[in-house]
Amino acid sequence: MRKRNHRSLITSVILYSLLALTLVFVFFPLYWMLVTSLKTPIEANELPPTLIPRIPTLDAFKFLLERWHYPEVLLNTFVIATFSALGATILSGMAAYGINRLHFPGRSAFYGFMVATLALPGMVTIGPIFMTYKDIGLLDTRLGLTLVFLSGGLPLAMLVVFSALNSIPRDIDDAAAIDGCSWFDTLFRVMLPIALPSFVVSFLLLFIHAWNEFLFAYILSVTPEKRVLTVRLFEMPNRGDVYLPQYDLIAAGGVLVLLPIIPILILGQKRLVEGILAGATQGT
Amino acid sequence: MAQAESALSPTRSRTRHEAGFFAKYWMAYLLVLPAIIVRFAYTIVPLFRTLWLSLTNMSITNPGEFVGLRNYAMLFQDELFINSLGWTAVYTISATLIETALGLAIAVLLNQKLRGQSTAIFIVMLPWVIAPMLASNVWKLLLYDSTGIFNQTLTVAGFSRVPWLSDPFWARVSVTLVSVWKNVAWVSLIFLAGLRSLPKEVLEAAEVDGAGPFTRFFRVSLPLLQSTTLLILLLRGMGEIQTFEQIYGLTMGGPGTSTRTLALLAYERFFTEFRYGYGSAVNMWLFLFAALVGFYYSWKLYQAAR
Repeated sequence: MRKRNHRSLITSVILYSLLALTLVFVFFPLYWMLVTSLKTPIEANELPPTLIPRIPTLDAFKFLLERWHYPEVLLNTFVIATFSALGATILSGMAAYGINRLHFPGRSAFYGFMVATLALPGMVTIGPIFMTYKDIGLLDTRLGLTLVFLSGGLPLAMLVVFSALNSIPRDIDDAAAIDGCSWFDTLFRVMLPIALPSFVVSFLLLFIHAWNEFLFAYILSVTPEKRVLTVRLFEMPNRGDVYLPQYDLIAAGGVLVLLPIIPILILGQKRLVEGILAGATQGT
Repeated sequence: MAQAESALSPTRSRTRHEAGFFAKYWMAYLLVLPAIIVRFAYTIVPLFRTLWLSLTNMSITNPGEFVGLRNYAMLFQDELFINSLGWTAVYTISATLIETALGLAIAVLLNQKLRGQSTAIFIVMLPWVIAPMLASNVWKLLLYDSTGIFNQTLTVAGFSRVPWLSDPFWARVSVTLVSVWKNVAWVSLIFLAGLRSLPKEVLEAAEVDGAGPFTRFFRVSLPLLQSTTLLILLLRGMGEIQTFEQIYGLTMGGPGTSTRTLALLAYERFFTEFRYGYGSAVNMWLFLFAALVGFYYSWKLYQAAR
């Protein structure tokens, strides 16, 4: 924002201190989780707390990997997040194309409907969904959860793809038509390649959302093998032999849930920011 | 195929009245309807079932019969509901305002030309990728009354311990704090993008006219960010009003009922007491409040899309 290259020393000191303060506020809780996960149960309860683990150990991780059925649960989470994000992106991509490029009765009502349902709290719908799932046998299945998250991701996916399509000038469609492209060619040879990055953005956003969701996953799964990671966080196993608060386990559990999606953030940071902006700023 | 093209090119579609409705629009509906149907099945259908349930006295022991508005009448004699309503309002407003103000401040800071800017943005983004349930676990480690590091630090510094999670007032503070920590990332990103897209000429002109950094911010940048700010307030308000996960993870609505939002109350009535009718009535109120915020937002989007 400032044009001048020379900032007074005092301003610099203030700005950097504020930045440091912000980063400590944001990062310290995560740092604390990480170091606590590497402590022994006894050190995790020690007074005063140690900022760096004295004897780093992976015991808490070993315990959780076993008791959480981590491989199965990780696979569940991964499969559900992948397929729901993929499905929602494809369905919403189709809808976004239709609404953005074609003219038909109810066009803007469909758009309005998709966005309006964003305001519907999950808590309001989950009771009936639970009852229906129980009746039709979708309770406690991966398919059931995938469908719930797919539906949940549709509006955001549509906003993201819609805003990408909106930025493709309509002249391109016309030019393609004049050059003799059928609508099919226009869609797959012209539009799709240009809009593809927004599909990636949408997929990544929805994957993270599905990975992080708790309420639906908690209600709609019953057996431990069908659980997903966030639900596991809520069901901390008891170590039994150590009669101490299990801070190390809580922390290690957190690391196990967070770690698999950190690469997505590192590799896809730019795309994710694009997606956040597209999802939020469609209306302004 | 030829008819489908008419829907593709709006200029030609009007002239083809002879084509049947189906022949003309099948392609468009084929593209749009799958998403609409799935969304409809998972939102509107259950919403109407919740509405119906709220008019019955169905519970796990009772197959349920129509009781009209009795559940709603009961709600207003239920002190827990009234308290929960009040707390939801306080929480939604305070969390939304704090997040927005803090997010704006962080965005302004990140917008300065400072070293390590991109690393800083990465770190600020971290809480955004964190599950709400995980956020509550992360903060539990800091906030535990006896051995949490916050109280340890306070003790060492010579202050008395704060009952972060066991005192009604402090539990409410903690719950709000965790929400702010989790959501401020999103707010900062939106504001940062807003700040970066401000017209540079206007800001430079103000600087040439001798406006200091504070005047420039409050008199130029902030008014230009008005629509962004409104959008953030609406979207965050919509999110906070239905908060369940962080609070359930951190305090489960306790101590007592002090941090029990409407969503938590509905959850307890429906899924732990199995009073489907009564729980659904709570849900209908939750829906009403979320809808008031949400439909205003989607109305703006709808207008923008026309």
